[in-house]
This record gives sequence, structure tokens and C-alpha cells, in this order.
Amino acid sequence: MKKYLILSTLLFASCGDMFDTHPYDVDTDGRYHLNDKSLEIIEDRYANKDTLRIAFISDTHGWYSDTKDEVEALNQRDDVDFVIHCGDLTDTGTIKEFHWCCDILDGLKVPYIALIGNHDFLGTGDQTYNVMFGEMDFAFILSRVKFVCLNTNATEYDYMAAVPNFDFMEEEFTRDSTDFDRTVLIMHAPPYSDQFNNNVRKAFRRYLDFFPGLMCCVYGHNHNDYVTNIYHDDLLFYGIDCAEHRNYRIMTITPDGYEMEQVFY
Amino acid sequence: MRWNKFFISICLLTMACQVMAKDSVEVASEPENRYNKYVQKAFDRWDMLIPRQFIVQNAGNMGALSAGIGWEYGHRGMWETHLLFGFIPRHESSRMKMTVTLKENFIPWSIDLKEGWSVQPLSASIYLNTVIGHEFWKSQPKRYPDDYYEFMSTKFRLNVGFGQQITWQIPYKKRRYARSISLFYEVSSCDLYIRSKIIDHSVPLKDIIGLSIGLKLQTL
Repeated sequence: MKKYLILSTLLFASCGDMFDTHPYDVDTDGRYHLNDKSLEIIEDRYANKDTLRIAFISDTHGWYSDTKDEVEALNQRDDVDFVIHCGDLTDTGTIKEFHWCCDILDGLKVPYIALIGNHDFLGTGDQTYNVMFGEMDFAFILSRVKFVCLNTNATEYDYMAAVPNFDFMEEEFTRDSTDFDRTVLIMHAPPYSDQFNNNVRKAFRRYLDFFPGLMCCVYGHNHNDYVTNIYHDDLLFYGIDCAEHRNYRIMTITPDGYEMEQVFY
Repeated sequence: MRWNKFFISICLLTMACQVMAKDSVEVASEPENRYNKYVQKAFDRWDMLIPRQFIVQNAGNMGALSAGIGWEYGHRGMWETHLLFGFIPRHESSRMKMTVTLKENFIPWSIDLKEGWSVQPLSASIYLNTVIGHEFWKSQPKRYPDDYYEFMSTKFRLNVGFGQQITWQIPYKKRRYARSISLFYEVSSCDLYIRSKIIDHSVPLKDIIGLSIGLKLQTL
């Protein structure tokens, strides 16, 4: 009897990951603060690089084969420094989708960081994102360029949270101001979209003027590649396509300016 | 709100049973007539509501561990309904969560072995699981545009599963709280994972299915 008990306990323990507790159980399986870990590597490698080359991908949710091909296509290049995912890693915010997406993105030979998209909020998805990736608003500086990543998914909070977070933006206007002279703003849902708090879209635009040397804004969400000046002024917004449409954008930042190139795979 | 109504109705039903139980003492001693037959029939009907099984099982997308009551009916009791209550451990989330599951099993065959042992080579299950908490909604809240997340509910999960079980009829003399005991396993998946697999076939089958092991006591 005792032998069987030990045997069954061993069997039980060995197939621990075969037992699914719940799609929204927030069991991150040791994946913590992935953005912080990536940023540590990125800041270490590219803090003072002359030319930065960043790949922007977005909305990979559900299209795992396309995402795999995207990762492969990016891996074939030698010029990409790191990858920014503009949100919507998952379709329904379940824990398995987060793991599936990370399993694929972990195949990238360069580090990646990911913003939160509206689909990633579903169920306990926002909590999973917080544990796996970290803060929803964050910023980092490379080669005197500040990258500000903003959570703009206001509809997910029923407009009752500070989204977009103006306090955070204000802090970022001046934090480490001696270390940067240009800014790139990255978000998931652009102003005027169904997720943005459109009551403050014009106030939001005014705030953007306080970012030193704002170069452009990059967003995902709309599932198309689109370049436009949303506010009909000189500020360009680059919409990054979804994985299903099989293209990404490469941003090349030089000391004199930047280029944004759409690449199909 | 609807859950409250459900619980109140269950409470009222239980109270009704007790009232009727008191009545039965007076009825039993009286000679047979139409009323007594009616009472007997009423009792027989209500008897069907008494749970006949006790079940405990792990995982299966309904919590780390679930336990509950069950009823078996139909020809040779090949149909079963289980009502299970489970919990999802806190893990890295803000709190522990409770789940409730309504499960329907179909166990078409039973093969008798020696000494009271029998094997049920197939059990097919379909079950609805709900998780209790403000994070989850039944259908998309009004704040979203029409047809935004129309395809899903974060609160209710429909699952399907297949399994097998082995049953031991407890010898009459040894019976104390149950007449038979079954050990079962089940392989199941939920609607969202099946949907992922349909959208992209590259999702491995082993990733969308999960194992569950359980114990079932036939108490009555």
C-alpha cells in the first residue's frame, strides 16, 4: 500500500503541468518582470549606440504561426537591436495564451519588450501582465532618446482610471532630463480609437508638446499599417499592423533623425 | 442578483422538505386513500433531489480542487449530474477565487470484473464552470461598442472531457457511508483553448487539454 502511495505521489508530481487549474488562474510559472529583464540587457548593450534599429510588431493574438514566422524573419536579420511589441499578446487574456506568446517571442535572438493591449486585460489578464511583464506605463533612455510606453486602454477601465496617466507623463517630461533630447511615444490604442479616452484626446495632444524633441508616436490596435498625422499637425503616428497581415516596421534612429520602414515577410 | 435568487430558492426548497418530513409521521399511520398516494408520490419525486454521490476531483479548468454532490439516473445510471464547488489558489493574482461547476456525464458501458470490481471504459462529459469575482463578466459590459468581445464570456467556461473509471462495490458487511467507490480520470479542454486551436492549428493539442483525477462515492 505504502509503495503504491509513493508511486502515485511521484506520478502526480511528475505530470504537474498536465493539470489545468483554470484559464484565469494567473499561474505565471516563474515568468516575472520580463520587460525589466529585457531592458536591463537593452540598456547595457545600446545605451550609447550611434544608430538604433528597433523592430515594431503588434497584435499577435491568436496568430501563432504568423508570429513564429515573424520571429524567424526578424532572426534572419543582423541589424535589429531589439523588438517592441505594441500590445495584444493574447486574444482572451488566458494564462496559456500568455505562455504561448512568450514561448514564441523567447525565440527572438534579440531582447523584446511588450506593452499591454486591450485584449490582454480580459479576465485576470491585466494581473498576469503585471506579474509577467511589469508596469503598464514605463520609460527608458537609449542613445539620448527617451522611449515612453503608455497604457491607453481606457475602455477596459470604463474610463475610471488614470488612463492615459497624465501624472506619469508629467514625470517623464523632466525625469533624467539631462540624459535625453528626443522622445518616442509608444502606445497600444491611438487617440480617436474605441479604447482611447477620447474626452481627453485633445488635452493628451497638448501634453505631448512637453516631451523634449518628440519624434513620432507608434501604436498598434487597428490591425493595419497606417501612417498619419492624427491631429492634422506635424506629429506623425505610425500604426503597426497585426501578425496576420505579415509585416512589421523597422525604426532606425540616427543622431540626425529617424526612418520608419515597413517590411513584409 | 440571479445567484441570490437561486440560493434563496434552494433554501426554500430545503425548508419545504423539512415541513413535509414532519407531516409524514402523521400520514404513515392512516389507512390508504387518494391523498396518501399523492403524498407518497410527492415524496418519491422529492427523493430524486437527494444527492446520491459525493465527488472530489482536481484541476479540469474548474479550480485546483473541486468537491460536490451528484445524482445518477437513467438506464443503469448511465447519466450523471454533478454540482461541484472548487477554488483557484491565489498564485500571483490579487486573491483566491471560488468556482461553481455544473457537470453532465454520460457513462454508456460498464464491464464487470471479479470481486465487485468493474470498469467503465468511457465517460463523456460536458460542463459549465463559473468563476466568482468582479473581474469576470457574463457578457460584455455596456462600456464596450457592440460586438466587441461578443464571442466570449470571461465568467462562464464551457468544457468537454473524456475519461474512464474503475469502480469497487463495497462488500455489504463493510459498507459504512457508501456502497461503491470509483476512481476516475478525465482529459478535458475549455471553449477558449479549443477556439485558439481552431484559429491557429499550430497550437499543440497537448497544450489545450488537461488531466483531472477524481474520486466518486456512491453514498445512496
